Amino acid sequence: MHIASGFLSPPVWGTMAAAAGAAVAASLALAPRALDERRVPLMGVMGAFVFAAQMVNFPVLPGTSGHLGGGFLLGILLGAPLGIIVMASILAVQALVFQDGGIEALGANIFVMGVLPCLLGAAVRGLWLREKPGPLTYAATLTVGWLGVVAGATGVILLLWWSDVLPRGVTLGQAVGVMAGIHAAIGVVEGAVSAAVVRFVLAMRRDAVLGPVCAEGGKEAVP
Amino acid sequence: MTAYNRRTLLVGIAAAVLVGGVVSYFASTCPDGLEKTQEDLGAAEPVRPPLDVPPVAFQEYNLKWLGEGFWANAAAGIVGSLLVLGLLLGVGRLLRRRRPTEQS
Repeated sequence: MHIASGFLSPPVWGTMAAAAGAAVAASLALAPRALDERRVPLMGVMGAFVFAAQMVNFPVLPGTSGHLGGGFLLGILLGAPLGIIVMASILAVQALVFQDGGIEALGANIFVMGVLPCLLGAAVRGLWLREKPGPLTYAATLTVGWLGVVAGATGVILLLWWSDVLPRGVTLGQAVGVMAGIHAAIGVVEGAVSAAVVRFVLAMRRDAVLGPVCAEGGKEAVP
Repeated sequence: MTAYNRRTLLVGIAAAVLVGGVVSYFASTCPDGLEKTQEDLGAAEPVRPPLDVPPVAFQEYNLKWLGEGFWANAAAGIVGSLLVLGLLLGVGRLLRRRRPTEQS
């Protein structure tokens, strides 16, 4: 759901660039405390993986595809600040090198696909860090992951509406209905894939997921 | 670099290369959710001159000199993943240096 170039009006993309810029600056300020030597490589490979995963469009409805956002799973695995830095890096590379998402829309795209889902992922992160993630963890992950995609999709339509580029005769409600309807299907996949990836990475690299604050007691468990 | 970190990098790069370089070739080419919505609403054309960066090496997700086949897509997936990886390792290293109380 990358917003392409030529749609958002200057006040809208300017506002979103400022909002996303502030969120990225805050994340960079908070990041040093969340980083240890094991998290830097984890952050790097998760970024590479999410970039790659975003290239895999899967069919959702007739004539429509969707792809993973990835911000939600990054928020769970790395917390909000590092997740936002990773998503901002991915979206910048996509916009600058692959013409995926407009340059002026980069702030809006970082906000909708980075800041929002990373914060939601960070909100359920605590459930995954307990000894044994149970049904509640999975239910919350599927629900909140789904919600992040639908909320992001609705946000994109609001930005287009605010930019006054919805055609005459199309109401905001209709546009949100179409967009959120499609993304309600995509969100199911986002939630399920996020749960599977988090489970896998947690099993492989638990201490890197825990990070420097919590990992102190678990150091000798590392091979 | 510790063996632990080396293995993290190797497994992660392998996953990214497999997904971005191979699996993505078989991805759906249908418009994504936003493109489809814009088409359905009749709002698919930009209303302002687009500000896109010129495609220097990649045309969307294909390496320009390889056309549009499997290898053009694979090159895009692999180069893009490695660009993101390199960028984040650099940023991560810089940020780690600023860590206030280094204990580990």
